[in-house]
Amino acid sequence: MARVPPVLIRAVASIRTRMPPAIRVEGLEKDYGDVQALDGLDLTVPEGSFFGLLGPNGAGKTTFINVLVGLVRKTGGRAEVFGNDVEADYQGARDAIGLAPQEFNVDRFFPIEEVLHHKAGYHGVPEAEAEERAVEALKRVGIYDKRDVRFDWLSGGMKRRFMLARALVTDPDLLILDEPTAGVDVELRHDLWEVITDLNDEGTTILLTTHYIEEAERLCDEVAIIDSGRKVTVATPDELTEKGSDTLTVYCERDVGDAPAFDDERVESVTVEGDALRVRATSASEVVPSVLRQLEAAGHTPLDIDIERTSLEEVFVDLTRREEGADDGATSRSSDGAGSGNGDADADGDGDGDERVAAEASR
Amino acid sequence: MSESGLLSTGTKTLTKREILRFLRRPWNTFLPPFITNVLYFSVFGVILGARIQEIRGVPYIQFILPGLVVLGAIGNAFENASFSIFHGRWNEYIHEPLTSPLSYRSMVFSYVASSALRGIIIGVLIAVIGAVFTPVHSLAHPVYAVVFLLVIATLFAGLGVVGGLVAEDFDHLTVLNQFILRPLVFFGGVFYSLDALSGAALTASYLNPMVYMVNGVRYGVLGVSDIPVNEALGVLVGLTAVVLAVDVALFKRGYGLTD
Repeated sequence: MARVPPVLIRAVASIRTRMPPAIRVEGLEKDYGDVQALDGLDLTVPEGSFFGLLGPNGAGKTTFINVLVGLVRKTGGRAEVFGNDVEADYQGARDAIGLAPQEFNVDRFFPIEEVLHHKAGYHGVPEAEAEERAVEALKRVGIYDKRDVRFDWLSGGMKRRFMLARALVTDPDLLILDEPTAGVDVELRHDLWEVITDLNDEGTTILLTTHYIEEAERLCDEVAIIDSGRKVTVATPDELTEKGSDTLTVYCERDVGDAPAFDDERVESVTVEGDALRVRATSASEVVPSVLRQLEAAGHTPLDIDIERTSLEEVFVDLTRREEGADDGATSRSSDGAGSGNGDADADGDGDGDERVAAEASR
Repeated sequence: MSESGLLSTGTKTLTKREILRFLRRPWNTFLPPFITNVLYFSVFGVILGARIQEIRGVPYIQFILPGLVVLGAIGNAFENASFSIFHGRWNEYIHEPLTSPLSYRSMVFSYVASSALRGIIIGVLIAVIGAVFTPVHSLAHPVYAVVFLLVIATLFAGLGVVGGLVAEDFDHLTVLNQFILRPLVFFGGVFYSLDALSGAALTASYLNPMVYMVNGVRYGVLGVSDIPVNEALGVLVGLTAVVLAVDVALFKRGYGLTD
């Protein structure tokens, strides 16, 4: 019998107990004067899910997160965290959230262990328990031996680990990670993945924004792609990759000559290079029999085939480019566009720099 | 786990954090007012004071003591609140309490209470330094001395919160302290009695809130005052309530804190 994914079990349990989703936003808007950072965003993040948020720089990801935790005031729409309105019931909403932001915003006056005591205390955790949790969180992210050091004296990787520890010390129901692995080495990235995957398995809802498509593909149950402050799509990584085009290459015994016309609506384009025939199709594996049959009917002898699946990265670039094309210019987001897919787009760690500039300009 | 109210774990934690911040830097917190006031008492009290006649029957060095206590208390209360909030904004670590389930009232309470405490500690320190230079055997009206000190420290801690939220860079904090607070204090009767003024200068002095603070504490310590103290206390309590309400409203609106 097939194993039922934990997220599905939790989703069903959530429906049965009529629990509100971890995050529900409807028509969420935020403008900074002429700059529309969020433009009617609708999104629901189910309780217990591992939810990815992808988008190019300036798409509105960080603004969206900051609305949830109260660092940005929305100008329209609704936003709820576990049914708590982020403005009317701000204490309930903020109590549920553990945030590891992209920017380092840590109290520099105190050693990191004390910073954790304070953060837990702000959430109403009694002193003795806060001390236990701080030890546990530091051990969990592997920097317990640095507990007496101030944040500024930590290495870059340790700083990232500490950001996660601070988010964990309040034992949040919703863990929000804004580019948690930006600029960190492969080993640390895998360590962090392991920690947050364990947390998700224990029932914590995770909202992850990342520029590393592989990260979203590997970790997330569902992914939302947003651009220009709007939702482009929400789907599982598998569903998203199915939206892209695969490349089927058929190697024949001799040169194929002119590209044959295939009678199959799933085929998007056909090119020929000597004995290799390349077919772009929405689902290459499904068109293989049809393509081979028609090649043989045309007198060719196929010897080998190769299928190159579309990647989530390609789908992401395709979807966000399509959005840019459809954008009528109503928003004045400054986009470097590219960013998104190459995994190195945010290597300098500036993340949603456009949003920050917009925010600064409005102050 | 979140609780509400001014006695909640969250409020106590933020208050404790704010108090520890200044206590762990004694050379920043206590040394400057110590040196400054030793100089004040030496120069104005001992060297110049010996040549100045008594004011309202009180030796000059004793006359200036309450004013210097007020000067130190309000300066430190204001500076602590404004610096702590502004530095937290500048480095964005104020996000730690802001993104927590603390109520806006709780946050204001913590910043104001800790800053007022610093002001009172410095006020007491200055009084002790003064007692080394001139004998003050007992307080004339101890309840007035304590209540006035408490109210003015709270008032200026509350004003410091506004300063910390409004300032856009460190220069603004200096401007608020040096160009607004200090002149008001120096023209607030710290070093002279209002009897020395007449006409427009006297009228202007009555519009200076520092006059009421200095004279209130002076009444508590020495039993002499240029103004009716109960009315002054009432006005100061009212003003403090207004400033604290403004603090809470600014936090609620996210002024200087949110985009």
